[in-house]
Amino acid sequence: MSKRRNSKQVLFISAIVLILSTLLLGCTNESKENSTSNKDNKDMLTFAWPRDIGELNPHVYNPSQLFAQSMVYEPLVSYQDGGELKPHLAKSWEISKDGKEYTFNLRQDVKFSDGTSFNAEIVKKNFDAILKNVDLHSWLGFIPKVDHTEVIDQNTFKLTLKEPYYPTIQELAVVRPVRFLGDAGFPKDGDTSKGITKPVGTGPWILEEYKADEYAIFKRNENYWGELPKVKKIKIKIIPDAETRVLAFEKGDLDLIYGEGVISLDTFKQLEKTGSYKTSISDPVATRQLVMNTKKEQLSDLRVRQALQYGFNKKAMVDGVTSGVEEKADFILPTNFPYASDIDVTPIDYNIKKAKALLDEAGWKLPKGKNVREKDGKPLEIELMYDSAESIQKAMAETLQSEWAALGVKLNIVGVELTVQIQRFKANDFELNFFSNYGAPYDPHTFVNIVGSKGYGFNEAISSYPNRDKLLKQIADVPKTIDEKERQELYSTILESLQDQGAIVPISYIKKIAVYQKNISNFTFPANRDEHPFTGISIE
Amino acid sequence: MGTYILKRIMAIIPIFILAILLTFGMIHLSPVDPAEAYLSAAHIQPTDEMLALKRHEFGLDQPLYVQYVNSIIKICQFDFGISYVSNKPVWDEVTYRMPATIQLALGSIILAVLVSVPLGFLAGIKKNSGIDHFSRLLSFFGASIPSFWLGYLLIFFFSVKLDLFPVEGIGTWKHLVLPSVTLALPLIALYTRLLRASVLENLQEPYILFTRTRGVHEKVIMGKHVLRIAISPMITGLGMNLGKLLTGTIIVEAVFSWPGFGRYFIEAIFNRDVPVIQCYVLLAAGLFIISNLIVDLIQMFIDPRISRKGGQHQ
Repeated sequence: MSKRRNSKQVLFISAIVLILSTLLLGCTNESKENSTSNKDNKDMLTFAWPRDIGELNPHVYNPSQLFAQSMVYEPLVSYQDGGELKPHLAKSWEISKDGKEYTFNLRQDVKFSDGTSFNAEIVKKNFDAILKNVDLHSWLGFIPKVDHTEVIDQNTFKLTLKEPYYPTIQELAVVRPVRFLGDAGFPKDGDTSKGITKPVGTGPWILEEYKADEYAIFKRNENYWGELPKVKKIKIKIIPDAETRVLAFEKGDLDLIYGEGVISLDTFKQLEKTGSYKTSISDPVATRQLVMNTKKEQLSDLRVRQALQYGFNKKAMVDGVTSGVEEKADFILPTNFPYASDIDVTPIDYNIKKAKALLDEAGWKLPKGKNVREKDGKPLEIELMYDSAESIQKAMAETLQSEWAALGVKLNIVGVELTVQIQRFKANDFELNFFSNYGAPYDPHTFVNIVGSKGYGFNEAISSYPNRDKLLKQIADVPKTIDEKERQELYSTILESLQDQGAIVPISYIKKIAVYQKNISNFTFPANRDEHPFTGISIE
Repeated sequence: MGTYILKRIMAIIPIFILAILLTFGMIHLSPVDPAEAYLSAAHIQPTDEMLALKRHEFGLDQPLYVQYVNSIIKICQFDFGISYVSNKPVWDEVTYRMPATIQLALGSIILAVLVSVPLGFLAGIKKNSGIDHFSRLLSFFGASIPSFWLGYLLIFFFSVKLDLFPVEGIGTWKHLVLPSVTLALPLIALYTRLLRASVLENLQEPYILFTRTRGVHEKVIMGKHVLRIAISPMITGLGMNLGKLLTGTIIVEAVFSWPGFGRYFIEAIFNRDVPVIQCYVLLAAGLFIISNLIVDLIQMFIDPRISRKGGQHQ
C-alpha cells in the first residue's frame, strides 16, 4: 500500500514540476520593450494593426499587409493628392504616339537596402517575375496587356503593350504587385509567387525585427535616396481587437491609431471629445454606394429609383450612422479623383412629397387601409442585401427600412457574409446592394471597368438603361483613349449618365481616421489609399 | 483493467472518423467559395481566370469524394495541407502558435485549481458562513460575465488605470496574469460549486460518522477522507473542460492579443482558410476525446471501483 502511495506521489510531483517548468520556459523570453510605455521614446513611433504584417513579399497578396509592403518597396510612379502622378523611382517617362510603348528613365541615385543598385535590369527581373503569373495579377488592367519588357540601357526600361491602355501609369503606382524587390530577395528559381528569401527594397524602411502575430520593428533606411523619415524606428504591434487597441492607446502604449474601420466611429468621436489627443479625418477615399438592380421589375422604372432617392434624408442618415465622420456624397465617385471632378449632375435632395408623387405616377398606389403600395395587386416590396459584419451597412439598411416605410415601400433587409454578398452581386441575384469603389490609385478606371464588364453585377444591373449600349461602348473606349481631352469628356459622360439613371446612388464618402498622442506632429494621410502614413511624421 | 483501457482507446478511432466527416461536410456545405474569399480578403477584384487558378491550386476543382479521401489520407499522415492564405504548412503554423496557447491554458488551470479547491472545500465545510457567501457571489459573477467583457474590465482597471499589468502581448509573467484570470474565472465558478456540493454530500455519508466515532482527528477526516473523495467529480469537470479551455482561449487571445492558435483560427474563419479550420476542429476534437480518456483513467486510480465495474463486464 505504501509503495503504491509513493509511486502516486512521485507521479503527482513530476506532473507539477512538468507543468511549472513549461510555464517558466514560456516566460523566459522576456522582452522588456513590451512592458514599458512608449510615451518617452522620441525615436520610435508605436502603431497598432489588426493583422500580422505578413512575409513582405512585394509580388503577392494575402496575408501581406499593403501598408507594410509600401514601407519597404517603392513604385516607378507615385500617386499624389488630387490624382496627380509624380515621378518616383522613374525620373520621367515617355509614351509613344500609339499609346503602346512606355519608356521610363530611372533614377540613378537609388540603392536597395543591401547596397546593390537599382537599375533597368532589376526592374525587368521584377516585371518578368510578375508576368510569369499573369493570371494571378490579371485584375490589374495593364498586366495582361503587357507584350514584352526591355532593358534599353542601365537606366532606361521599356514596357510594350499589346494595345493602348492609358491607366498604365496610374496602375504602376499601386502597392502590389508592381514594386521592386532587390536581387538578394529573389528565390533561386526566380519565382517570387512562392516566396522570397528576404525583404530587400529601396523604400525608407527596413524590417529589423519581426515576430509573427506579435510585433514588427522597422528601422529607418539611412541610405534612402529620398527625404529621410524623422523618426528612427516604427514599431507595429499586432492587436486584433479594436477595443484593446483603444485601451492600449489610452494607456500610452501606442502613439497612433490610423486606418479605415480600425476602431468604431463612435469610439473615434469619444477619443476626440476627451481633448487629450489629436485627431484627423482624411479626404474621401471612396464612395459608399447603393446599387439598384434595374433587371428587377419594381426597379426597372426610373421614377421608382428616383422616388427611393428622394425618399430618404441622406445627410441625417450619414451623420447619424457615422457620427459625422463620413460625409454625405453627391457624386458616385469622390471629386478628388482623376477625371471625376468635372461632373454635371443635379444632386437629389430629400423631398418626401416628390417621392410619393413619383411612386403614384409610376402606378404604385397606396390602397386605403394599407401601408404598402401596390400595383396590379402586387405589393411594392424590395430586398436590400448588406454585409452583416459591417455595422455601418447594417445601420444604414435599418434606417432606409424605416424611411421608405413612410413612403409605402416595404424594404426587407438581409444580412449576409461579405463573400456571399460578393457572390450574389456577381450572379446578379440581388435587388438592392451596398458597394464601394476601389479608391486611389485604382479609380476611376477600375470602377468604370467593373460597370462595363460582364459578371460583376453592374453590367447586368444597369440593363434597363435606355442608353445602355452606348454607355458600354464609351466604357470600353475609355482605357484606349490617347487624347486627354477626349478621355475627360468620356468619363464625364459615363459618370453623369450612370448617376442620372439612378441605379447607382452615392450615399457617403468613406474616410480614414487617425488618432494620435499630442507629441506627434506632421501627420498626413497618404493620397494612395494603401500606402503607409509614416512619411514626415515626428515625435516631440 | 488493461482491457478497459484498450477498449476506451479503440473507441477513439470511429469518433475521429466521424469528426473528419463532420468537418468536411460543414466546410463544403457553406455557400462561400474559399478561392473567392481569399481574393476578396486581399482587396482584389477577382477575374474568372484568377478564380479558376486559385480553385485549381486549392484542389477545389476535384470531385468532392476525391477531396474527402485525399484529406483523410493526408490527415492520417499528420499532413493538414498548406494554408490558403500564408502558403505555409498548416501544421507548422499551428505548432508555432501552440506553445502560447498551452501556456495560457495551463496558467488558467493552475489558477483555477489553486483558487477553487480551498474555496470550494471551505465553503462546503463551513456552510452558510461568510466564505460560503463569498464563494457563491464569485461563482455567480464568474459564470455569468462574458469572457471578452471581463477581459476589457480587467484591462481597464489593472492596466490602464492602475498600470500594474501590460494591456496586451506576451513575454513576461505579468503578461500572463490578466488573460489567465479572464480564462480561469468561469472555471473557478464551476469548480468551486462542484467541490462544495461534493463536500456537503460526503459529510452526510455514514463513513464520516464511523471515522468520528473511531476518534480520528477532525483535520485528518477532512483532509484525508472528505477532500480526497469529494475532489473526484472536480477532476471529471476539469478533464471535460480541458478541450473547452483550449477553444475558450479564442476570445481571450483576441482580447489580449495573445499570439496563440485560437486567434489564428479566427482569422482562418474570416479568410475561409479551409485546411486551417479543418486542422483546428480536429485538434479540438482530439483534445476533448483524449482529455476525457485521461480523466477516466485518473478517476480509475483514485476510485478503483470504476475499473472493477469495468471488470465486471468482462
